[in-house]
Amino acid sequence: MENKTAPSTENVLRCDGCFTEIGTDYIYCTNCGYPIKGTAAEQAKFISQKNRIDVTAVELTQRVNKSINKAGRTLYYLSGLFILGGIIAFFKLKDDPDVLAVVIPYLILGVVFLLLGEYSKKHTLACFISGLCLYVIVQVLDLFQNPDLNLISFVIIALIIGFLIMGIKSAIEIEKIKKHNNIS
Amino acid sequence: MQPSNDQLSDKKPCIHCGNAISLTSRFCNACGGKQTNGDDAVIDNKWARIQEAGLFYAVIIVLCALANFIAQFQTLGWSLFFAGVLAIVSISFFAYHWAGNKRLLAWPEFSFQKLCAYCFIAIIGSVFVQYAVGWLNVTFYSRQQENLTALKGNFWGEVILVFFVAVMPAIFEELGFRGYLLQNLLKVADAQQALFITSFLFAIIHMSFLSLFWLIPFALLLGYIRFKEKTLWYGVFMHFFFNFTACMFMLSGL
Repeated sequence: MENKTAPSTENVLRCDGCFTEIGTDYIYCTNCGYPIKGTAAEQAKFISQKNRIDVTAVELTQRVNKSINKAGRTLYYLSGLFILGGIIAFFKLKDDPDVLAVVIPYLILGVVFLLLGEYSKKHTLACFISGLCLYVIVQVLDLFQNPDLNLISFVIIALIIGFLIMGIKSAIEIEKIKKHNNIS
Repeated sequence: MQPSNDQLSDKKPCIHCGNAISLTSRFCNACGGKQTNGDDAVIDNKWARIQEAGLFYAVIIVLCALANFIAQFQTLGWSLFFAGVLAIVSISFFAYHWAGNKRLLAWPEFSFQKLCAYCFIAIIGSVFVQYAVGWLNVTFYSRQQENLTALKGNFWGEVILVFFVAVMPAIFEELGFRGYLLQNLLKVADAQQALFITSFLFAIIHMSFLSLFWLIPFALLLGYIRFKEKTLWYGVFMHFFFNFTACMFMLSGL
């Protein structure tokens, strides 16, 4: 069996399955489980299984990342919607003395969703959970003030909540995929 | 030759064959067995934990929204009812994971000086918030701070105000948020994210978006102290004195 060597001056034994540094007495690789001292058939079987798992993991990762991106974009859309709502409210009520009381909460929500969207790349789970809860509270408050909810609004609200829930689920799922496939 | 204790200190036994392997090994170098240590079960449990936390928060949202926005419920009797239900919800969820949560009710390293220092910080913070909120209300909302000077001198009125504004939130919000929710989220996310989520959720449940500027830092401070001191009690006292100062402002009409 040919061992790959690191491009350094010292000779280091590396696993043929994952190229991690291994000890001379190892029977199996401690990182991927490759049978270092197994028969050629055992090694071929391991590589074939690993490749199959890798393909599944890549597909799964792509699907999960798609959900995460969708939830992240939802936070940005919400930010845009609230800022737009604030601007519309300002022009509608500009002669009203309480115009700021209406506009400022819209702008605050817009900024908060924008920040959550921005930080969701780094702290995915925290931002999606926070975004979902904030959106639900805003909708509950809105429902108490305007109980007449039409079908289109209901569908849009359900879609936004659905995207954020899928984002939370995917944020957990990606961790599982990484652990299963030894991705740090 | 048997490995010495020093050599074994950075090693763990393989869960399949008992061979001493490195702490970071994912597989045993002798038998090839995967060192899962129940990681999969932990990850699968995370979604269930989030659903449970979601149920807790959904119940709190509904109760707070009903108590605050339905005119029929704005009586003393209904306020007592909602305060009682909120307390029962917090206790129930906290007690559901009693084995893991009970240590938060202990006060392992009680320090009177530390307690006084935290309470002083809470009072100073509350004074600052009262003036800042008063200024914002006048500037943006063209209205004065909530003024309950009519209750001044009415003993039972003052007791009820302190009970609803200072005592109940201090005990049951701490039990529910810094107790149950934070502890639950620590099983789902790292400490930093769990602290942020808890603080953010605590801030928005007050349903006043203008107040987020002080609610989020206040919640982060309470969460940080809960982590640092490993007890809920410093937070309970800080929360009480923060809200009690607010009561004094309401009664004095400052």
